[in-house]
Amino acid sequence: MSAQNSTIVYAGLAAAPGRASGKAYVIRNVEDIMAVPAGSILVIRILHPHLAPLLPRVAGLVVEEGAILQHATTLARECGIPAAVGIRDACSLFQDGELLEVDGYTGEVTAKHVD
Amino acid sequence: MEVEGVTNIAHASPGSAEPYRRHILGLPLQRSLFGLTAEAATTIGLPGLSSELDFPARLDENGDLFLDRSQVAALTNALPAWFTPETLELIHTTHTAACDALVNASESAARVGASLDGAARKLSEDLANRMALVLAFGILTKFVPDVLLRALADAGDVEPPPFPEKSAGAELMQNTFALYQACCALNYAPQRLQHEWPRVSPEVFHLVSEFCNRQTGFGPLAWDSSGYEDPNYVVRLLHSAFDEVDAEQVRRRLSFAQRPPVTRSTDGVPAKIVALRRVLGFWLDFLERETWYARRAFYVGMVPLLQQLAAGYRQKIPAFQPADLLFLDIRELVAGIADPAVIDMRRHRYLENTEYLSLHGVDASRLASMLRSS
Repeated sequence: MSAQNSTIVYAGLAAAPGRASGKAYVIRNVEDIMAVPAGSILVIRILHPHLAPLLPRVAGLVVEEGAILQHATTLARECGIPAAVGIRDACSLFQDGELLEVDGYTGEVTAKHVD
Repeated sequence: MEVEGVTNIAHASPGSAEPYRRHILGLPLQRSLFGLTAEAATTIGLPGLSSELDFPARLDENGDLFLDRSQVAALTNALPAWFTPETLELIHTTHTAACDALVNASESAARVGASLDGAARKLSEDLANRMALVLAFGILTKFVPDVLLRALADAGDVEPPPFPEKSAGAELMQNTFALYQACCALNYAPQRLQHEWPRVSPEVFHLVSEFCNRQTGFGPLAWDSSGYEDPNYVVRLLHSAFDEVDAEQVRRRLSFAQRPPVTRSTDGVPAKIVALRRVLGFWLDFLERETWYARRAFYVGMVPLLQQLAAGYRQKIPAFQPADLLFLDIRELVAGIADPAVIDMRRHRYLENTEYLSLHGVDASRLASMLRSS
């Protein structure tokens, strides 16, 4: 993790290629899945298959779960959504509305803090 | 091919106070199935899994899952030496048979039903044992696919992992979008559908109900958390997924459906690599369906049996409700033991766990309504 000009980069695993940016939307309980903003970066502990229908409306995906062989990798690749997995404590690190950039080639997630 | 480590279980340690996952299951009936998984796992035939003590997972009273890192390490160390085309074929056969048997048992329990309590108990026991075996494979998916992937790399495979060409989640995505389009064609956009449900046109009501019947099984691991068996859940999800969304973008994202299947030639590829890829491919597909298998078995197979058993209990205990059975251990259910005081105590403890209930979106009416869904 490195900090520079209100920007913090978190290193994870590259799960699905592509780059995307948008506002974070953090799923903390099952009720949160009923209000996913279009174009958001979905931040979630594990992306279970039953949440797949939500994927077409999001721009990118950040997942806490650490392994590359997981639901999120499969689903994000199928839909062409940039995804980084293995971002430890992502659901605590990021806040709703925070600007995030997901690099699905490197697995890096950049949080841009607006002062 | 780049292989990443099994970082998701790196923090699970034996005897650790820190669970691998917190609050994953709350209902005593579902928790008790985990008690059967260790025994079921010994039938799988993996090296290092010869007794119940070898199984690396346990669930505590709070529904927290613990993984024993030393057992995981023992299993992951034992596996690679065992990977020959013959043994891989054996594990593939055992795994597919366990999944098929659970699906068949679920459908036949629903079809056959049981007019006698004894028969319902026997069917419940059979279904529970089959669920436990699939759950055991589910626990093993936390690390076996990574071991297979590493073995592929060690064997010289340079291809990407054999991810499913169309996963269970992708199929669900397509089917949900098709339901959205069908409802829109009948003038029920997601907002109207959610607002008016269940007082909608008979055609739309039928469409949603049929969808729920077909997709029952998709949903969270915890049965008490709503999933696709519940039309209210589906109607809300349609709103969340497709309201104010660019339909063209959704179609683009779903374009994998039009891609022709990729069939790679295996000419000249070493038999071990072919076998490893085949087995890993199945595990990756299973990874997308592991929750579906047990959840469908519960809603399609077990719920009608519980309804039947509850009717029997009501003859002895007039106030007995089907949801009371969710507070029994599977062994108690099979043996016909139901002490109202014990059930009350367990229900009280379950309802006191507000963190669990909030996490899983369980409200006061959920237990009764989940036993009406089938």
